[in-house]
Amino acid sequence: MTRHTRKKDVVLGLGNVLMSDEGIGVHLIERLSALKKNFPHVDFIDAGTAGMSILHLIANRRKAIIIDCAKMQTAPGTIRRFGPHQVESVKTLAHYSCHEADILQIVGLCRQLGQLPDEIVFFGIEPQTVAPDRSISQTLAARINDYVAAVCKELTCQID
Amino acid sequence: MHNNVNINVHHVTRVEGHGNIVVNVADGRIETLQWQVPEAPRFFEAMVRGRSYEDIQTVVSRICGICSITHSLASTKAVESALGLEVSEQTDKLRILMHYSEQLQSHILHVGYLAAPDFFGAPSVVPLVAIAADVVKTVVRVHRVANEWSDLLAGRTTHPVTLRPGGLTRIPTEKQLRQLKKTLKDTIPDLKVIADAVLSVAANIPSFERQTEYVSLKQTNPPAYSFYHGGVTSTDINGQVIPIERWHEVTNEYVCPQSTAKWTKWHRDCYAVGALARFNNNGELLSPMGKDAAKMFGLKRGCCNPFMNTVAQLVECFHVIEASIALIDELLTKGLKEEKVSSVAKAGKGVGCVEAPRGILFHEYEFDKNGSCVAADICIPTNQNHANIQKDFEKFLPEILGQSENEIRLKLEMLVRSYDPCISCSTHMLNVQFVR
Repeated sequence: MTRHTRKKDVVLGLGNVLMSDEGIGVHLIERLSALKKNFPHVDFIDAGTAGMSILHLIANRRKAIIIDCAKMQTAPGTIRRFGPHQVESVKTLAHYSCHEADILQIVGLCRQLGQLPDEIVFFGIEPQTVAPDRSISQTLAARINDYVAAVCKELTCQID
Repeated sequence: MHNNVNINVHHVTRVEGHGNIVVNVADGRIETLQWQVPEAPRFFEAMVRGRSYEDIQTVVSRICGICSITHSLASTKAVESALGLEVSEQTDKLRILMHYSEQLQSHILHVGYLAAPDFFGAPSVVPLVAIAADVVKTVVRVHRVANEWSDLLAGRTTHPVTLRPGGLTRIPTEKQLRQLKKTLKDTIPDLKVIADAVLSVAANIPSFERQTEYVSLKQTNPPAYSFYHGGVTSTDINGQVIPIERWHEVTNEYVCPQSTAKWTKWHRDCYAVGALARFNNNGELLSPMGKDAAKMFGLKRGCCNPFMNTVAQLVECFHVIEASIALIDELLTKGLKEEKVSSVAKAGKGVGCVEAPRGILFHEYEFDKNGSCVAADICIPTNQNHANIQKDFEKFLPEILGQSENEIRLKLEMLVRSYDPCISCSTHMLNVQFVR
């Protein structure tokens, strides 16, 4: 039913492009999509603020790379690669609404359902600015090529 | 009865805003009882000012990560009304089909992931897997179908890319529609499994009732259980229909000190919107399977138990599947054809109104002669429910005051959840600490 044949690997960019650095994941997907011919086995998806839909986007893939703005107590602009087992969420959820989401909980649900990808890699990027603005901050803009290179390296080392 | 109760469910993060429940009972007397929404305003109406009519949908789609199709459709309809654009019958039907996908996607998300844990006595969907793994797997399967359905019509699951003022930039093939029809038919048994599971724990749905006004769309020509066309009606106006252009007479938005979100009222001091409102106004127009599902749960028009909104959503899941299959048949019978989409900037003002999964939604825009937006006004369904939630609290709390503080807190939280509120999904950033 979907438009495309589902590929083995997926790169998801999360975030809201109207909230400055919070949208860094989506900005990176735009940049990475221009390189998709180099990565025929990869779906590059702007997952926006998709919440629970992420479950379906990563389920049963070989590898899922998730790029998101992350508060990690590091310097703004810092990119860190980590797996779901290396971090714990310190986010408080109200459980009033399906509109809130915690990607680590979604990964946990995926695991419980037996649909986890073989490998999940997060790239967290520490924001400088999270406020209404369609542009990312200068701090992140200056490093965007580094972020693209980091994701490409991650993809390249996985090509069979 | 407890003489002293102190509940302060406080979730104030100004980025990802939530609501607070504040209860203070001293010596058996309720001193404070508030449903507060403290989240920061998001200023979408200001953000679109100065932008081209062609950009409005892209921006306002980001209001919500769950009902982005709904916001996109409401804004596109408003823009088309302002510019005097008519769309073809094919476009209209494909957009309704797109909208149905979001109703299923959102409803099943709410029923399965948010409300079901309450009914099964689990703190959230993650531990629910241990209690009812097969049900959760079925919910996930139906949610996946709905997501892929959205993807097919809207270009991607969230934040549609196929909508343009005047039409659609891409349409599915007839083969894809035939496949979609088969998938939807195959989903019906899964929906029945979910309905049976909810029915098995339906005794845990509180039996609270409070008379209120229920507001929704109503389509009369031809009569239909509408999410997309028609005017505004309510249970207080005997089936009358108000044109959507007069929506300000319905919402009467006002500011309330306990909330950063505006509240609304029409014929009473509050009203409710959502699946139960649609059911109460249009229930006789449900599809046969929708009617069967309502009967199964004893849901009848005139129901004023807000907890039954979740059941009404489940009923609507059956309806949208059945209505979509009929719509696909109509589209295939006529045959699909590529249509050119074009529009020209002009001055004008227009209103768009559709039913979001969680209730009626209004968008209004005004453009100058260059098609640049000079004014915008949006009224979301969740804001229309806030006053109603407060009034429910005021009747419900005295009825449950004899229960433990934890029970009271849970029941009040369940009440909020039953409205399927869209408080905010503007940002979902990770907030982590590294495990040492």
